[in-house]
Amino acid sequence: MLRFELKKIFSKFKNRIAVLVLLVTLILTSILTINKVEYIDDNGNSSTGISAAKNLRTAQNKWAGDLTEDVLQKVLEKNKKIKNSKEALSDDLLEQDKAFAKIQDITGILDVINCAFSEYRDYDGFAADHVSGRDVKNIYKKRISALKEYLDSGKETFTDEQKKFLIRQYKNLETPFHYEYIDGWSALLQNISTFILILALIIGFLVSGIFSDEFQTKADSIFFSAKLGRSKGILSKMWAGFLITTVFYVVFVFLYTLTVLFVLGTDGANCPIQLDMWRSVYNISFLQAYLFIAAGGYIGTLFASILAMLVSAITRSTPTAVIVPFIVLCALPFLSRIITLPGVCSFFPDQLLEIYIDIKESGLVELGGKVMTTAAVIIPVYAVICLILQPVLYRIYQKAETR
Amino acid sequence: MKLELDHLTKKFGDFTAVNHINLTMKNGVYGLLGVNGAGKTTLMRMLCTLLKPTSGTIRCDGRDIFKMDSEYRRLLGYLPQEFGFYPQFSVQDYLLYIAALKGIPPAAAKERVKELLFKVGLSKAAHKKMKKLSGGMKRRAGIAQAMLNNPKILILDEPTAGLDPNERIRFRNLISELSEQRLVLLSTHIVSDIEYIANEIWLMKDGELMHKGSADEIINSMPETVWECFVEKNMVSDFIKKYRISNMKTEPDGIILRIISQERPFTNAKCVKASLEDVFLYYFGEKAGDENAAI
Repeated sequence: MLRFELKKIFSKFKNRIAVLVLLVTLILTSILTINKVEYIDDNGNSSTGISAAKNLRTAQNKWAGDLTEDVLQKVLEKNKKIKNSKEALSDDLLEQDKAFAKIQDITGILDVINCAFSEYRDYDGFAADHVSGRDVKNIYKKRISALKEYLDSGKETFTDEQKKFLIRQYKNLETPFHYEYIDGWSALLQNISTFILILALIIGFLVSGIFSDEFQTKADSIFFSAKLGRSKGILSKMWAGFLITTVFYVVFVFLYTLTVLFVLGTDGANCPIQLDMWRSVYNISFLQAYLFIAAGGYIGTLFASILAMLVSAITRSTPTAVIVPFIVLCALPFLSRIITLPGVCSFFPDQLLEIYIDIKESGLVELGGKVMTTAAVIIPVYAVICLILQPVLYRIYQKAETR
Repeated sequence: MKLELDHLTKKFGDFTAVNHINLTMKNGVYGLLGVNGAGKTTLMRMLCTLLKPTSGTIRCDGRDIFKMDSEYRRLLGYLPQEFGFYPQFSVQDYLLYIAALKGIPPAAAKERVKELLFKVGLSKAAHKKMKKLSGGMKRRAGIAQAMLNNPKILILDEPTAGLDPNERIRFRNLISELSEQRLVLLSTHIVSDIEYIANEIWLMKDGELMHKGSADEIINSMPETVWECFVEKNMVSDFIKKYRISNMKTEPDGIILRIISQERPFTNAKCVKASLEDVFLYYFGEKAGDENAAI
């Protein structure tokens, strides 16, 4: 029965077009992500693609290892030397690019120093130029002290428990950071949310007709009057929806990840995300962050799909059901911009597709005196909601009457 | 196999589609005759568990069919008035899917589909997409799906609607062939569909059962007489105003009218044997005439 349900979905021309759109999106998003990593050669010419990533990786991995005081001082010295060179001080852009080419190997580490010595919620791209060798030794302590200063400034709305949680997390972060070339993971994490959003919308489109099409094609009478129409027939529809959501999500996210990391490199998987997201409260590696984002995206996609199927079963209208994932994942974020509901908006399902932002900005919630990050709450909560909605969907369709 | 309808009523808001129907059906062919909107489809949908009655019960061998649930539907074959299908499916795939929905194991389903495709004359169209079939072929695919589980109860709602005369005759013969050892309920507003194959005919109007019985019993239930007379063309409009005309046949020098009336409408009118079509016109009036143009 499941085979026929899947056949029903993929025999529809519009659904085949949707899969094609998904493939095109995969290619375009992969290209855009890959092009984020740029390499400048000694002549000041920039390039992107496999060779560019390879060159940058080779250059940056010369510095692979723990970011100790010694390493940080060496980076600062090199930076100062290059910044004071004839090329760097020239007005000619090509000459400046040549100078930049010489510090590409340390840009990743310079970014960390820039973050550490910028105002807490700002980023000064030239901060490292003014940091002394003595100051840079305290870079890890400065991360904690900057947080404390920020928390004491009164510019934020954290509760005491949340402040304690933040400081504890900052202190628990293992230092010195292990450094490697991380641009592949960094580019991947930055763009994956957009890709997942498009993926979720298209998956929602694919599953939106599973229940309503029986009514639209007027096949409902035969379906419901058949022996298993109100039992296994419904289960096979639900399975089809779940399978399409899961398989499409896993396959396309995997293909996207594989393409990007194949070109940009997998180095840095175990490096702390603070190399790229200095203020993050999550003490996890890039690989863990990726898995976290992918898990959130999956639950978000699953939730949107189930909701689309539920609306499809209730309204018996495929066009109405198609709109649901769009409302849930695209319209709600706009609503949260118009209406200020900071507490509620953090729990909107679109946040499941924005785990990257949560990892970067660290939204917190307090439940029963226990402080947790928003992502750590909404992923299991929506997973449970998805489970609860299954029998609801089943019962609604089971009780359907056809006039 | 016995189906009992006990004070069966279905209301949609203030509108009563089926009003306190009491019936008992056993094996055989039952013809449900009525104009569009008489409540035939609603009655059939309740018999197929697609609609729940507002009040009253339907019992199959003494058990409520809604409580029997899939156990009842296992006995059921249904061809709805609007036969919906999956346009991109081939005939074979469509039937295999319905077979799966009916709980027939895949291997048995393949054999049964092959057998039924042959029976309904669609063997050569097995791999043709459903959307490419002609109206008659679609209906035959429809009857094939209804027969997949070899149902004890076969419910056919307007099965010949939209078919050309040849297809209708072919379809009628097919139904007659399939009616052995099962209960067949056939609804139509086309009298000739059931005149020769139904063991019992029910006349339904405004949600109520007006008459039931064999074709002869139904014909005999009409309290008026059928007359045939030859009249001049200029007199026809007067007769139409005054009497129920069940048929008009144009001849070179006049018109032969078939009139339903208690009194002799014209001196040379002769009394003829009433047909089921005459009865249909008598009970359903002008509306029947409009709806029954295809007869």
